[in-house]
Amino acid sequence: MTDDVAVQVCDLRMSYGATQVLCGVDFEVRYGEVFCLLGPNGAGKTTTLEILEGFRRPTGGTVRVLGLDPTTQAAGLRERAGMVLQECGFPRQARVAELIDLWRTYYPNPRPLGDLLEVVELTEARNTQVRKLSGGQRRRLDFALALAGDPDLVFLDEPTTGFDPEARRRCWAAIENLRRLGKTILLTTHYLDEAERLADRIAILRAGRIELAGTTQEVAVLAGLATRISFTTPAALRRGQIPRPLGIDLAVSGSESVCHSEHPGMTLRLLLDWALEHGLGDLDGLAVTAPSLEDTYLELTGAGAEPQVSQAIGGRT
Amino acid sequence: MTRSVRLAMGQALIEQRSFWRSAEYALFTFVFPLMILLLIGAANVGSYLPGTHIKNTTVFVPGILAFGVIVAAYVNLGSKVAVLRHDGVLKRIKTTPLPSGAYLGGLLASTVATAILLTAGTGLIGWLAFGAMPRPGGLLALTAGLVLGIVCFATLGLAISSVITSAESAGPVTYASFLPIAIISGVFDPTFGGLPAWLSRVVDLFPVKSLAQVLQNGYAAQPFPAWGLVNLGLWTAAGAAFAIWRFRWHS
Repeated sequence: MTDDVAVQVCDLRMSYGATQVLCGVDFEVRYGEVFCLLGPNGAGKTTTLEILEGFRRPTGGTVRVLGLDPTTQAAGLRERAGMVLQECGFPRQARVAELIDLWRTYYPNPRPLGDLLEVVELTEARNTQVRKLSGGQRRRLDFALALAGDPDLVFLDEPTTGFDPEARRRCWAAIENLRRLGKTILLTTHYLDEAERLADRIAILRAGRIELAGTTQEVAVLAGLATRISFTTPAALRRGQIPRPLGIDLAVSGSESVCHSEHPGMTLRLLLDWALEHGLGDLDGLAVTAPSLEDTYLELTGAGAEPQVSQAIGGRT
Repeated sequence: MTRSVRLAMGQALIEQRSFWRSAEYALFTFVFPLMILLLIGAANVGSYLPGTHIKNTTVFVPGILAFGVIVAAYVNLGSKVAVLRHDGVLKRIKTTPLPSGAYLGGLLASTVATAILLTAGTGLIGWLAFGAMPRPGGLLALTAGLVLGIVCFATLGLAISSVITSAESAGPVTYASFLPIAIISGVFDPTFGGLPAWLSRVVDLFPVKSLAQVLQNGYAAQPFPAWGLVNLGLWTAAGAAFAIWRFRWHS
């Protein structure tokens, strides 16, 4: 294990009875990066996180978090890692600043209160009773409590599930603030846009396996998705007066011609040579579209696969 | 160790602060027993226990002391922990380095503080309104009863909290599980009697009557309640065993 790795997961396996939830998961999170575990409900995201947080003992494999073994060194881990669980209440009568201050007493080197309030944008709500906060504000208070001990690493389990767009935007801003503090962040989500917007690197988890991992672009490339090349169908081609380009599987419809290629550079060269040869000039409406994370994700978790997964593991995530 | 104690005290302080901030908790815990003390106590003024020179109020006031201890320790702590578990607060505590013992110790310390305040209030009003005072030779029984009673019912409160499945049922379950027993234990009526012999023996087995008898011994000279003290000890042990066996940090 190298020194710049905050979280290392090797061949992680987890079964509940006869049901295997994680079937050999591998990934690593480097210090200072935002790493996103992306996957549909029931993929095993929360189970993975709960193992990393020391709440569950894995059936097999090894896990190191900040150099510690979460199952045997949970106490040490809790001093250095902040954890935001999916759903977790607050004491009913507490006020915002009072609660954060209480949490600060739990840690050896707490962050200053004013600083915490600022990071999560709750300075104005500091004297509000917790039960009067909105859903988004409560989530940001979750962040503040997780951050109270000035941790090196923060776990966020589906931080914006069920939020309206404005609440999500403010949550994202708070997460960006965490990143600026230099915190390593491991977050799970089933929202693509969230992963795309926040993560430095992404691992797609499906049915207990990491399908792909890397940066957004790497993931799309690794998925082997083809780049889409399209142009306005030239009149001569439509009328069959010129031959189709050789070596390219071109779909010609009335107005648009489309092909997909895993080697877009080569395909483009062939295409433009063909256009030159037949006097078509620069092809009108030429567009080259790289595969997006969304394409990748839909391809990997496409219809048919997912219902089966959710059923198999009882909707547990 | 000192760190744990300091953390527990901090926890207890914030628990007390939230307790007094919540009107319903403070009201139900304090006003309910004190109202019963005054209303039923007034109906007993001038009466004596049949065939004795002991005033009804002299045994009624310590009965309400027992009731107060049970409300403060058992009802309050039991429903509080059930709600904390249901709301996920206990689970959140587990994400922090706060030692479990310091957290639970803080909750217990706050419960003890509430119970002592309620006991003092009940004793004071019982004295002012009805002239009921502990007898000089009864202080030992009274103190032992209060200490053991608070510990016993706080333990039972922790135990029952694990049986409660929702925040909404926390109050009803804790009250319903002891109020009928308190009534047939004669806590609210010094002259209560006429139970079938078997039922009377069953009631003797519960810690409610035991606590009432020990505290009553502190006010009126009666046979030393050895069985009551032993019984409270037994229930404490049983409650602790169940609480440890069933305690969960998440619902």
